[in-house]
Amino acid sequence: MKSPMRGLLSGLTILGLSAAPALAEYPEKPIEIIVGYSAGGGTDVLARTVGGYLEKALGGEASVVVKNMPGAGGQIGFTAVAQAKPDGYTLGTFNLPAALALTLDREADYDADSFTYLANFVKDPNTIVVSKESGIESLKDLLDRAAKEPGRVTMGLSALGGNDHFAGILMESAAGVDVSFVPFKGAANARAAIMGGHVMEGTMTLGQTVGYEDNLRVLAVLDTERSPFAPDVPTAKELGYDVEMGSYRGLVAPAGLPDAVREKLVTALRAVNDNPEFQKTMVEQGNPASFVAGEDFAALAGKQATVAGKIWNATPWK
Amino acid sequence: MYGDLINALPTVLTVANFAAIVIGVIAGIVVGALPGLSATMAISVLVPFTFGLDPLVALGLMAGIYNGAMYGGAIPAILLRIPGTPAAVATCFDGYPMAQQGKGGYALQVAVVSSSIGGIASALALMLLAPPLSRVTLLFGPSEIFWIAVFGLSSVVFLLGKHVVKGLISAASGVLVSSVGADPILGVDRFTFGQLELLDGINIVILLVGLYALPPVIDLLEKPLKTDALGTGKLHTQSLLTSLPSMFRFWRTWLRSSLFGIWIGILPGAGGSMAAFLSYNEARRASKTPETWGQGEPEGIAASETANNADTAAALIPALTLGIPGTAVAAVMMGGLLIHGLQPGPMLFRENPDVVFGFMWQFLFGAILLIFLGGSLATNNFARVLRLPRPLLGAMIIVLMLVGVYSIHGRMFDVYLMLGFGAIGYLMDKLDFPLPPVVLGLILGGFAEENLRLALRIGQGDWSILWHNVTSQLLIVLTIGVVFGPGILRRIRGKRGKDGGDADGNPTP
Repeated sequence: MKSPMRGLLSGLTILGLSAAPALAEYPEKPIEIIVGYSAGGGTDVLARTVGGYLEKALGGEASVVVKNMPGAGGQIGFTAVAQAKPDGYTLGTFNLPAALALTLDREADYDADSFTYLANFVKDPNTIVVSKESGIESLKDLLDRAAKEPGRVTMGLSALGGNDHFAGILMESAAGVDVSFVPFKGAANARAAIMGGHVMEGTMTLGQTVGYEDNLRVLAVLDTERSPFAPDVPTAKELGYDVEMGSYRGLVAPAGLPDAVREKLVTALRAVNDNPEFQKTMVEQGNPASFVAGEDFAALAGKQATVAGKIWNATPWK
Repeated sequence: MYGDLINALPTVLTVANFAAIVIGVIAGIVVGALPGLSATMAISVLVPFTFGLDPLVALGLMAGIYNGAMYGGAIPAILLRIPGTPAAVATCFDGYPMAQQGKGGYALQVAVVSSSIGGIASALALMLLAPPLSRVTLLFGPSEIFWIAVFGLSSVVFLLGKHVVKGLISAASGVLVSSVGADPILGVDRFTFGQLELLDGINIVILLVGLYALPPVIDLLEKPLKTDALGTGKLHTQSLLTSLPSMFRFWRTWLRSSLFGIWIGILPGAGGSMAAFLSYNEARRASKTPETWGQGEPEGIAASETANNADTAAALIPALTLGIPGTAVAAVMMGGLLIHGLQPGPMLFRENPDVVFGFMWQFLFGAILLIFLGGSLATNNFARVLRLPRPLLGAMIIVLMLVGVYSIHGRMFDVYLMLGFGAIGYLMDKLDFPLPPVVLGLILGGFAEENLRLALRIGQGDWSILWHNVTSQLLIVLTIGVVFGPGILRRIRGKRGKDGGDADGNPTP
């Protein structure tokens, strides 16, 4: 349904351009952002929000179109971006560590080097949560219990092989305990199982706990510093466990993007991030902003790949 | 909270917001009636376009489409034996025989009235009981949901058809199809043959369109000059006002099926098809004349159509209160909320009561409008479609099927898959294998597996977790009663009087 629409759009653009050849500078046709998830998800909303501001930041006739290619946990979308022509007209959303975790437990046609890293916008740290009715008051309570009954404490999470699972494994090894992971289909189901008392504890990102304060108790945030969204919750580090895990969302392009185009895009994305209106929208959407651009983003991806690789080698999940 | 409900009403009644519902219902009926296009697809296509709309206009469209499509699916189910949506499979059982007997018009009217009643009941449940019902949702953990799935699967007993073995083969192949894709716990690929497209499993719409729509279409093309009551396009439709009083005897079925639909709706993962199957079976069990079921019993249509519409608003209870996208449609509707920055969950009720309660009103109005829009628009216009030459009708449906299936994910792979299922469906039809067990097996097989494995993971491999609590135990008793109850009753009656043996015929659709 969408492709004829796009054809029409690009057709119109070409018509417009042939009338005004002076505009032969990037971008001279619509830029497509491929989202590996369906419309209306957190990543999709981010892409649409950034896309809107990016049009303004690039100026002129720039137009940004979001294309959803859901399936296989995002892999279909990530693969499409990696294999697209690096001309700056195909960008994609990039989720860390999910996108790189997929290259470990499955055959994938891309790896960490298949992309040009433009900018990361969101970092949503993982948390350790329990139900308010569980009687568990602190991380210490929980870990004492896990130490006393190895393997009997059940931990609900959204899926194996994602940031939730990694958070669980890192916490487990930092505290020297043994818990049982129960991978529900998605964070919402995991959250309901924790609230209903079907599992004893769980992990999800801080953003996913927002609004459920009446039912959930967040014991710790797995980040280096406290989050402005939950200033009262201690970090795991403060409590003596050096664990950091979260979910990152940013924008990438295929590897081999010409430097001029890359410069232009990174500059424009920086301008998007500096826009106070954009920052306001991000807060409204409950997106903890964490802007990292260019080389620093590539380094972040490299670091995440190493962490994921280490976890996979130590405790492969399939 | 009820104050917020009243406060939200005036906004909903503004011209733009109300027009959105009307347009949504009409669009929904059309989408539902076209095989291959489903509410899920229509709404997911719509979501990106609503980015710039006022939230209530967007949500009104969605509520309308959802309600309309659940009824729309009944139209081809009755007239052509092609369920327009997965939830309309049970409507075929009695709807198509009625159409063949020249009572298609009445069948459609029963469907529209029942759909509307189910929708209204569901909307009221959402408006008045959402918070307490969401607590019920939390009671159901993996082991309880596993038993619900088993309960649903047990109803396959009534769908087996004349040949029990063939019926069981059908059901088992449905379960086999459900196991295609990444396994629900570890993500290990099963029967994917390296195809990324198969990793998420096989979409029910693809299977349904291939299995159900292609064989009747081939039949349309095979026998270009068949003339029966359908061929003449006569539905013998009376005015709705004349036929309505004769439906009041279904009140028991309407009530029971509404409750079934709402109950299944608040349980994440089950969906309208399961609601329709279950309530069809329960209504038949309660009927004084079960032998007429499957041969054109209007009450069967009432049961299935009430339940699949009663599932709609109820499915949004876990979605809105807990953020759980229980069904595919609820998931895309949550997307529609998110795109407007409305995060489903408890704070939605606190921070945006106008939107969330307005949305509930829209569901109610959508359900009420269904009776007017569906009653006048659908019944007469679709009859005309049937007067088309059979080869032309067949060709048109094939085009719609191809477009619909392609547009689910925008890939040809799904179209080939659908054609493959079509070939299988054609053979099954010729060889007398019943099709409903395949659908039930696909829907509930994966559902049962996932929850069984989650439950066992929670219990660290100890099977007793499955009957550890009262909810599970109740469900087990219920399932056993449903499966063995009729046989035991028959035996008791058979001992009392010898003529009991006559009533032995298994009720088959």
